[in-house]
Amino acid sequence: MRRLLTVLLLACAALTTVAAPAQAHNVLVGSDPEKNAKLSRWPSKVTLEFDQPARRGFSQVTVTGPGGVRFDQGKPSTSGVKVTAELKAPGPAGSYVIGYRILSSDGHPVTGKITFTLDASEGGDAVTVPVDEPAATATLQSRQADGGELSAQATEAAQNGGAGMAVVWIAGALVLLGGATVVAMRRSAPRDSTQLSDKPSDKPSDK
Amino acid sequence: MSLTETSPGPSASPPAGSPPSTGAPVWRWTVLAGPMVTAAVLAALAGTSLTAAEAVPAIMLPGPVVEYGLPVVRVLLDLAALAVVGLSLLPKLLGWRDPDRTEPVMRRVRPVAVTAAWIWAVCAFTAVVFHAAELNPGAFPTPGSIASYVNDVGAGQGLVISGACALAYAAVGLLAVRFGEKVPAELRIVVALFGLLPIPVTGHAVDSVWHDPIMISMELHVMGAAAWTGGLAVTVLYLARRRDLLAEVLPRFSRLATVCLLLVSASGVITGLATLALTPGVELPGAILTSSYGLLGVAKVACVAVLIPLAAHIRYRLLPRIERQQATALVGWVAVELTVMGVAYGIAVVLSRAPVG
Repeated sequence: MRRLLTVLLLACAALTTVAAPAQAHNVLVGSDPEKNAKLSRWPSKVTLEFDQPARRGFSQVTVTGPGGVRFDQGKPSTSGVKVTAELKAPGPAGSYVIGYRILSSDGHPVTGKITFTLDASEGGDAVTVPVDEPAATATLQSRQADGGELSAQATEAAQNGGAGMAVVWIAGALVLLGGATVVAMRRSAPRDSTQLSDKPSDKPSDK
Repeated sequence: MSLTETSPGPSASPPAGSPPSTGAPVWRWTVLAGPMVTAAVLAALAGTSLTAAEAVPAIMLPGPVVEYGLPVVRVLLDLAALAVVGLSLLPKLLGWRDPDRTEPVMRRVRPVAVTAAWIWAVCAFTAVVFHAAELNPGAFPTPGSIASYVNDVGAGQGLVISGACALAYAAVGLLAVRFGEKVPAELRIVVALFGLLPIPVTGHAVDSVWHDPIMISMELHVMGAAAWTGGLAVTVLYLARRRDLLAEVLPRFSRLATVCLLLVSASGVITGLATLALTPGVELPGAILTSSYGLLGVAKVACVAVLIPLAAHIRYRLLPRIERQQATALVGWVAVELTVMGVAYGIAVVLSRAPVG
């Protein structure tokens, strides 16, 4: 038992040293405009700052103004700990919500929102922003925009033999093991019933 | 000995007074595994709905199938894994000195271990698909998005490695079905426990010099919980009516369980507090009761607080009578204990994904 524990502890240590890049759960540490800020000027962009780099290609940032009108445009750009979204033409005075969903460096999606208020000022009452493009198309567009980056990652993966090869190996192993399971269960069943003089249906049923 | 339907046959040769039974009858599965699995799934669902991300305007969130399906798959994965660990520990607990009495039990256990390993592997690969879907809300996961998830995100690789370990276990388990205890029990235990190790990678991590110690504490936590819960469930599932074997096995398991209880409690508290303390923007004493992460941790501590008297009752009241091979209400008490453990497992899945800050 002691030997067993030693082996396991060593394996455990090996695993953590192999798979321990700086992975952490991202936390929003700052933003521009700040949380609950009262602005007198229209910000041309919003920037979110996290304690850890966010993973590229998965960030969503939206800015929603009075009446549910969307003011973000294009896909947000992710560079290191900062995620930036460009804004459309100035909106009316009122309260705005910045919503975000980013992929944390430990692989967890992190979702949240912060609000800021725009005082009546230079903004226009002449807001002619198209109402609410459905979020689905927005994500679709950002996904297409991410396409280049993703395909770059895919070629890199293909060079490393990455997930594609793993899938082949796993599929092969599954087929082999599945066959072996069927054969072994078939073989062990009659042996059981003869040695135990038991009816085969008495085998423990699985949960 | 008459060969009725419940007779285990000549090879079992139970001593007089002990009801002959080598398998785990359906009712005992229902009484022990049923409430535990139900409690785990319900706890995972309840925890998920309580910690659900607040609606954010115009941000696509994954649909309810992914939001609730993912924790359910993850908790089923954990339960299958603990079953595999428990079923692997049984030959070690039974010992090998008296194969005439233990072999009929083990012959029932080995195929079940292979099946549980299959469930584990299937859950692991299903969880990868759900994770990929979670990252691409509104789109059905494609092989491409799944591959890029596994390539890019450590959690995906962790699940794939865990699933691969489960498949390796199924292969070793099949050898054991064929060749019996010539396949060393230690090998099966190591493969099963090793398969648990990549899973904490899918949990939270902190960026600090304490990353590795916290990770190791987390690994110990997961292994201890699986050995404790799995060992208890399997021992009672298969030996409750074999008083002769139970009288030898349960004291052995009791020592293991004591170590596991201490290990799981200590590593759990250390990991939880350290994760909170090292997350920026979290103020410690307050965050335990205000953040969802802290509250889930408190719920798990409450589970342990309920488990300790239950375990103590079995250890100090029932165990002496079991050692004298007397009748006890062991199955009932263990069913309650396993249900509480199931709740803790369900909460654990939610905890590993809840926002810390």
